[in-house]
Amino acid sequence: MALIEIENLSVTFRAKGQEVRAVRDVSLSVGAQESYGLVGESGSGKSTILRAICGMAPVTGGTIRIGGQPVPTPRGRAFSAQVQMVFQDPYASLHPRHTIDRTLSEPLAIHGIGDRDARVVQALTDVGLPPAFRFRYPHQLSGGQRQRVAIARALMLRPRILLLDEPTSALDASVQAEVLNLLNRLRAEQGLTFLMVSHDLAVIDHMCDRIMVLQHGRTVEEIAHADLAAARMTTAYARSLFEASADRMLDGPVEPAR
Amino acid sequence: MSTLRAWLSDPNPASRRQARLGQAWLAWQRIRRNRLAMAGLVIVGILLLVAAFAPLIAPHDPLVQDLSRRLLPPGTPGNLLGTDDFGRDILSRIIYGARITLYIVALVAVTAPVIGLLIGTVAGYFGGWIDATLMRLTDIFLAFPRLILALALVAVLGPGIENAVLAIALTAWPPYARVARAETLTVRSSDYIAAIRLQGASAPRIIAGHVVPMCLPSVIIRVTLDMAGVILIAAGLGFLGLGVLPPTPEWGLMISSGRKYLFEQWWVATMPGLAIFIVSLGFNLLGDGLRDVLDPRSASR
Repeated sequence: MALIEIENLSVTFRAKGQEVRAVRDVSLSVGAQESYGLVGESGSGKSTILRAICGMAPVTGGTIRIGGQPVPTPRGRAFSAQVQMVFQDPYASLHPRHTIDRTLSEPLAIHGIGDRDARVVQALTDVGLPPAFRFRYPHQLSGGQRQRVAIARALMLRPRILLLDEPTSALDASVQAEVLNLLNRLRAEQGLTFLMVSHDLAVIDHMCDRIMVLQHGRTVEEIAHADLAAARMTTAYARSLFEASADRMLDGPVEPAR
Repeated sequence: MSTLRAWLSDPNPASRRQARLGQAWLAWQRIRRNRLAMAGLVIVGILLLVAAFAPLIAPHDPLVQDLSRRLLPPGTPGNLLGTDDFGRDILSRIIYGARITLYIVALVAVTAPVIGLLIGTVAGYFGGWIDATLMRLTDIFLAFPRLILALALVAVLGPGIENAVLAIALTAWPPYARVARAETLTVRSSDYIAAIRLQGASAPRIIAGHVVPMCLPSVIIRVTLDMAGVILIAAGLGFLGLGVLPPTPEWGLMISSGRKYLFEQWWVATMPGLAIFIVSLGFNLLGDGLRDVLDPRSASR
């Protein structure tokens, strides 16, 4: 059974009498421990799908099911313990006046989980940060380090599903590879399910088993990883996206730069 | 000393306390480089010391009258700043008046910003009808001139120092609510609030733990800048006979009683006036300096 099931999801924003249909009738299903990618240019509704799952966007139609159960509104703590998200901009996603320790231990406090000291240190080690960083403030860290903290925070509650909203697009190329490899390692170690958004097919190619291409809020095509690597896509739009990033993909999997 | 400094500026603090003290140390370093802010801090510090040690510093009892020595000019032996119309020593009265000024300032500083912060952050965070209701309430309070509203409140409650504080606090909170709401609106749509909401945090936890710390610097700056205004309003109420009651040595009251002699015995009104002026200046300079130190835009750099 699929872990994430989305059926005919529609999201419509209303502002000043205008309606913007950001997502139109998108359906997808992601199996447990699968890594699923959403690709498209900006404004294609890919991030909105993630936000809709988290209850941060107005769902106007369709259903979202996690583990066979429709998600409750508001999402609630049980949902928090299952689904977490890593945001795009690590400079904006950490509270500037909280130490890393506070950022990481807060989810434990909310859910009444004990043994916080050990779990915070463990979380830092898991994402490859030295425990000495524990009482630093975000402004004392680099972008890549911040994104590692954001990933650690998302994993504090040991969720099954991680929603990744362009987790590396704010980072420079060498750091990007490190963070992507970290995410792949964590997925293997903790048996996570990824739903990942990116505008960069090279990133998606490195990370995902299946890919959905979106344009103007609609599904264009769903491609398996093998078909993407062999450039077997059926629509012209998917092919044009592929060609735009093909030169980087043909270099093979992204290696960490030194 | 040098080990303490190294401990404070350690980039890898070993505990929550060290991290917090390290940040405070950095803020102190920034404020120390700002000369005007230091001048303000010194003035406020002197005010605190004078108020604390008033009985030791004051040469005379501020309430003892000596009609044979009334309206003596400044520089008279025994009465450095002269005496008022009841022959009381003006210097001693100013020194004891510092206590009352500080009392009023402190009480207003712990009430008005707290009310304002609470209303502003709640309005900004929830939005919708809660925001509309709370902000219209704020508008109503803002629509009245502060002194007039304070006057009306004191007239209802009766004169006295506690009622003066209450009146000032009730008229001083709306600007804090505005500042806090504006700050909350910029913070509430940020990713770190979305992240903590996604962790399942309750609204009170988000407001108290995540929104308020972001609003606090602007509110603190506003408070120190407003302290001068609070002192002036307290003095104004005293001057009009609606604040502190005689014979308490309150600065505004002292100016009021010196008004009759302004042309012949100018020092009776001028000396407490100077005290108000210097203390107001001190708070303003300190507020300006704190703005440079605490402003989130400059602190992030």
